[in-house]
Amino acid sequence: MSRADAEVRLREGQANVEARLRESQANVEARLREPWSELATDSETAFARQRGGATFGIWVFLASEALFFAALFLTYTAARLANQEAFAAAGRETNIVYGTLNTAILLTSSLTMAVASQAAEKGLFRRLTLWCLATTAAFGLAFLVVKGFEYREDIEKRLVPGADFALSQAPAQIFFGFYWVVTVVHAIHLSIGIGLVTRLTIKGWRDVGFLAENPQVEVAALYWHLVDLVWVFLYPMLYLPGRSG
Amino acid sequence: MSEGAGTPSTEASRAETPGALWRRNLWVWAALMALLALSVWAAYWPYGRIDTAVGFGIAGAKTALVALVFMQLKHASGLVRIVATSGLFWAAILFTLTLADVLSRMANR
Repeated sequence: MSRADAEVRLREGQANVEARLRESQANVEARLREPWSELATDSETAFARQRGGATFGIWVFLASEALFFAALFLTYTAARLANQEAFAAAGRETNIVYGTLNTAILLTSSLTMAVASQAAEKGLFRRLTLWCLATTAAFGLAFLVVKGFEYREDIEKRLVPGADFALSQAPAQIFFGFYWVVTVVHAIHLSIGIGLVTRLTIKGWRDVGFLAENPQVEVAALYWHLVDLVWVFLYPMLYLPGRSG
Repeated sequence: MSEGAGTPSTEASRAETPGALWRRNLWVWAALMALLALSVWAAYWPYGRIDTAVGFGIAGAKTALVALVFMQLKHASGLVRIVATSGLFWAAILFTLTLADVLSRMANR
């Protein structure tokens, strides 16, 4: 092989490698899927990703919360299946007026919370958002006040499990054991929600730009709705059994 | 967030007003209140177990309304929907396996 031949081959080889490199660059762009292909991005996309990350995170937490309450609900279901008459007798003793009023309060608070979240998401209507957040917290407090009156009545009616328990059927104590545990756990959740919403209200009131497009509003809202939904299931469990008997 | 089909997203793309925001959510609240009233009434029907089923069925309907509209699952991305469903999925396994045991013991007593 002559020297000139060798040089030509070498140049051909280099050109080949370069072509392959260029091709693989194009391939990389084709194979990279969203969101990895556009890491350097405009602010609108960055806002959408910020919101997407927050929404995803809170939903993972809410799914674990759903399982936490599902375990409690399952305990209730098993105990109720085994002691149907005692659970009907115990269910008749809870105050359906307080229970229904509190369900209505929480469902209405979910409306104001949803409007606050959607208004903040668009970055519009700061006053509407603030007003709705404050109303939501107020509804939460109203729920706790009604619950307090109900607890007082329950204690006066000796519906606390123990030696002094009012009902003769022993399994009715299982019902009220569940009643106290689950309503207190729910009230703790609701208190945390009131704290979160109050914080957003105060910060949004002091800082004009705080609420607009802030994913914290949506995260707090999703948590609030879950606490509402837990109560939606507690309502037929605690207040509706044994009413027709 | 994926684009949802249907009226709410087209409403949102127009110039949003507080009125439109309320209208989009108020009907859900009205439906929730109607369902609550129905479940109180149904609890006093003299049918025993059917009352219980209606009570929990209404709770499920309320949950669907709140989750789809208030929690915006209707317009959420596939990833968020999978996460939301996964909680229910594992809970369903928990209920199925435990109740299979409880109910078979009750049937064989």
